[in-house]
Amino acid sequence: MSSLDEKIEEAKKLSMHIVKESEEEKLMTLSVGPQHPGTGHFRFIIKLDGDYIVNVDLDLGYVHRGEEKMCEYRNYFTNIPHLERPVIHDSANITYSYSLAVEDLIGITVPRRGQFLRALTSELDRINYTLYWLAIYGIFLGHSTMFMWPAADRELVLDLLERLTGHRITHAFNIPGGVRNDMPNNFKEKCLSQINYLEKRLKEYEHIFYNNPLFRQRTEGVGVLSKEDAIKLGVTGSVLRASGVPYDIRKVEPYDIYNEIDFNVQYMKTCDSFARAYIPFLDVRESCHIIRELLDKMPESGDVREKLLSNIKGPPGESFKRVESGRGALSYHLVSDGTSRPYRVKISTGSFRNIIALPFLLVGSKLGDMPAIYWSLNYWPIEADR
Amino acid sequence: MERKSEIELKKKSLLLSKDILNSVVEKFGEKVNVIYDKRNRSKIMVDPEIIVETSIFLRDNHGFDHVESASGTDYPKEDQIEINYHLGSYVNPDLFPYVLVLSTKTSRSDPKSNSLINIFPSVEYFERETYEMLGVYFIGHPRNERFLLPEDWADIPPLRKDFRLKGR
Amino acid sequence: MGALNSEFRFGNFVGSIVQLVLFILAFVTLLVLPIIFFVLFFVPLPVVDGQVLTPYLFFSMMVDPSRTIPVMQFLIHTDLFRAAVFPGFAFAALIAASTIFIERKLLAKMQLRVGPLYAGKIEGIFQLLADGLKLISKEIIVPSGADKVIFWLAPIMFVSTSAAVVALIPVAPGWVAADVDVGLIAVFAILGFFPLIILLFSWASNSKYPFIGGLRALHQMVAFEIPFLLSALPAVIFAGSLNLSNIALSQNIFWNILVMPVNAFVFFISSLAELERVPFDLPEAESEIVAGWLTETSGMIFGLIQLGNYLKLYALAGLFVILFLGGWYGPQIFPPELIPGASTSDVSLLRLVALEGLYNPVTINSIFWFTVKTFVVILLMLITRGINPRIRIDILLHTGWYKLIVLTFINLFVVLTLIYGGILGPGGLISVK
Repeated sequence: MSSLDEKIEEAKKLSMHIVKESEEEKLMTLSVGPQHPGTGHFRFIIKLDGDYIVNVDLDLGYVHRGEEKMCEYRNYFTNIPHLERPVIHDSANITYSYSLAVEDLIGITVPRRGQFLRALTSELDRINYTLYWLAIYGIFLGHSTMFMWPAADRELVLDLLERLTGHRITHAFNIPGGVRNDMPNNFKEKCLSQINYLEKRLKEYEHIFYNNPLFRQRTEGVGVLSKEDAIKLGVTGSVLRASGVPYDIRKVEPYDIYNEIDFNVQYMKTCDSFARAYIPFLDVRESCHIIRELLDKMPESGDVREKLLSNIKGPPGESFKRVESGRGALSYHLVSDGTSRPYRVKISTGSFRNIIALPFLLVGSKLGDMPAIYWSLNYWPIEADR
Repeated sequence: MERKSEIELKKKSLLLSKDILNSVVEKFGEKVNVIYDKRNRSKIMVDPEIIVETSIFLRDNHGFDHVESASGTDYPKEDQIEINYHLGSYVNPDLFPYVLVLSTKTSRSDPKSNSLINIFPSVEYFERETYEMLGVYFIGHPRNERFLLPEDWADIPPLRKDFRLKGR
Repeated sequence: MGALNSEFRFGNFVGSIVQLVLFILAFVTLLVLPIIFFVLFFVPLPVVDGQVLTPYLFFSMMVDPSRTIPVMQFLIHTDLFRAAVFPGFAFAALIAASTIFIERKLLAKMQLRVGPLYAGKIEGIFQLLADGLKLISKEIIVPSGADKVIFWLAPIMFVSTSAAVVALIPVAPGWVAADVDVGLIAVFAILGFFPLIILLFSWASNSKYPFIGGLRALHQMVAFEIPFLLSALPAVIFAGSLNLSNIALSQNIFWNILVMPVNAFVFFISSLAELERVPFDLPEAESEIVAGWLTETSGMIFGLIQLGNYLKLYALAGLFVILFLGGWYGPQIFPPELIPGASTSDVSLLRLVALEGLYNPVTINSIFWFTVKTFVVILLMLITRGINPRIRIDILLHTGWYKLIVLTFINLFVVLTLIYGGILGPGGLISVK
């Protein structure tokens, strides 16, 4: 392409811009976030024509920490505590795929009991995250009871995680080579009783929230992301599965122990906000089932961790590993140059891949649909910014 | 029993990747290098000028339809920046566990690359981030502009190796 | 807690208190009492209990218990008392305050929380007082570019308009601040001011979110005004009067809700929309437009608008009771005399405690039942907040214009048939006379 063509192209863009601005006089520009109860650490600027949204511009980066750069200055173990900061209540999953990538790089396998414990924390954190997400979905739609219930029931899972790992959030439990410590005594009984209680509560959630006609009115048929569009935009996790693609990394590319676990991939074909709101809830149910199965099949004793040197050197090479987190595929691209620190770490998160659908869905919908669509995308601003 | 199925899966994935890599090499010849071919993961390095053609070929002939991730790596010693696209498929069930790394190189002093936004719309934000973090200009991308960094950022792109963190 | 001053002496402390008390006593006797006497000598005083009320008599009545009751009897029948204290503002404000407390506690129990707990030791009963003090002490921020006059005036207009609605609600036979013949029309006429005030306030705030919120409130209230009015119509046809007291009196045999349940339902839904309560709290939808038309309010401006809202809540719940739930009628549970035999007793203190001459069992009973029914309706309004999400604006408008208006006509026809069939209504088979 010659420079002349580029200039013509630019001039065209400019003139289009001018035409747009004269039309924009009748539009209202509304800034949603970051100091707005409807977004979190995130902003999008929407243009309204009456009650309809005609333009959306995303503005990410309010909580950008530079995790990828920080990784290049620490060794493989000291990276763990800061890597889980982007999503503190799903920290088991974000460190899980990192550990898998490092293990793939240096070529070791985790002891069997360690694999079970990893899967256990991963599922507990998935429940933890999804309940938090559900609470916020409730308050976004003005349902104050749905805000309080999951937030309260989340405490049960946090208690379990505290017993297991020592921390309520940011466990730093998964490390390259296994998990940090073994399961405490009588954890199994405690866990089973909490999970039983949680399943009872999930039924109540369904009654008060998902079966509520007003909630259905607000979400059914709203923000339809068809299967073709979902595939084209490369969304992941619950958003993808709500659009009718049964793609769950735990099933399609089982990592660690997941190929021995019997569970169903939840997906719906309605493609609307209701499906996107319902899939994570179904995932929680499935997680409860998986946790029971894990506790049942777990070996009674054994190592939980492959001992590694604290400043282990990765051989030169690359690895790309992904896990299914609460928000979809969470993958690490790790490049090593043979030193004790990673040469380059690229974190590709579900939130970052899902938010691309937001402008696509919002344009043409009503302002009242904005919270229902936005939060159904299972987006966590901090994780997207990293 | 389980071991056997494991081995079968391994075989299947190897056959699959062989098939894909062979067809790409056949089509583009010397301009394509196979860097590695591991289980479910393989990487090809293509010349910068044929990156668009390769991706169109991969999309149309093998069913790769989205990117799992796209990023760049800075190699100051070789004076090059490597750009990686991790391609995956949501359509072809055989390709579900498979990720193909399509990578290309560009010079460090004048980093430019053809954007894949028209082939894989899902690269939009990844390419924007790479532009910002590594300074690679994507030809054809509508918005090569500030994304995650502060609006008043006035330093070199932060993921270049010559950008040092303070105190480290 | 800060440490005590090192120069602190308990004796000094007690001394200063005694000094203060003495000073106040001297001030009252030397200055305040003479001024009261001086004023009262020039003010024409009414006749109470057969004699002209002189200042001397007034003070002696205050001291002598047996003479206090006529004064009180006289006072509670003045117009000022009715407007400001009993069926009027203070009573409504008291109900509003208890509504806020009940709402917080009830919602907290529904949502696995404890609610207010610390202010006032017992279940946080003084939380509202603490919140009020906080709001009063806060700075009022007026946005730059705001229309200052309207911005300051609108909250006051909001409260006074709510109080005007409250003044029209009868509580017991004869106990109403403003007993007008067009009572029901007056209620709807006054309610029609609210969208205007809200729109003015949102426009005066000079901000986008309040503006959108104000427009939403306008649309919502206009859409629900017509079903609101139409749903009250059959009750008027029944009673043959627009006077709210007469409407209540027409229900001494059966409650209107038995004949017109659909209308009662429509009225309830419309009053929820009028009150901007969940699920119709779109004008304040925080995830879309921050706090709607309340975004720029701060300090006591917010406090006044909340007070107005809860006064309105009481007024509309009271209206529901008057129109559909048989007003103040209920089984007589209060005895004819508060303390049996007190009227013939020699002990004047006993007569005072028995409220001889003040105590009217029928009125007290009416007030009791009216309050109980009003609280039941308020409770229903509160519970919807716990179980529903917010509705969307287009569904809301559709509900108002298309569904509720049609629903009101069903019962209107039923009632008209009954009346023309000569079964109900004035002069019907089953009627008041």
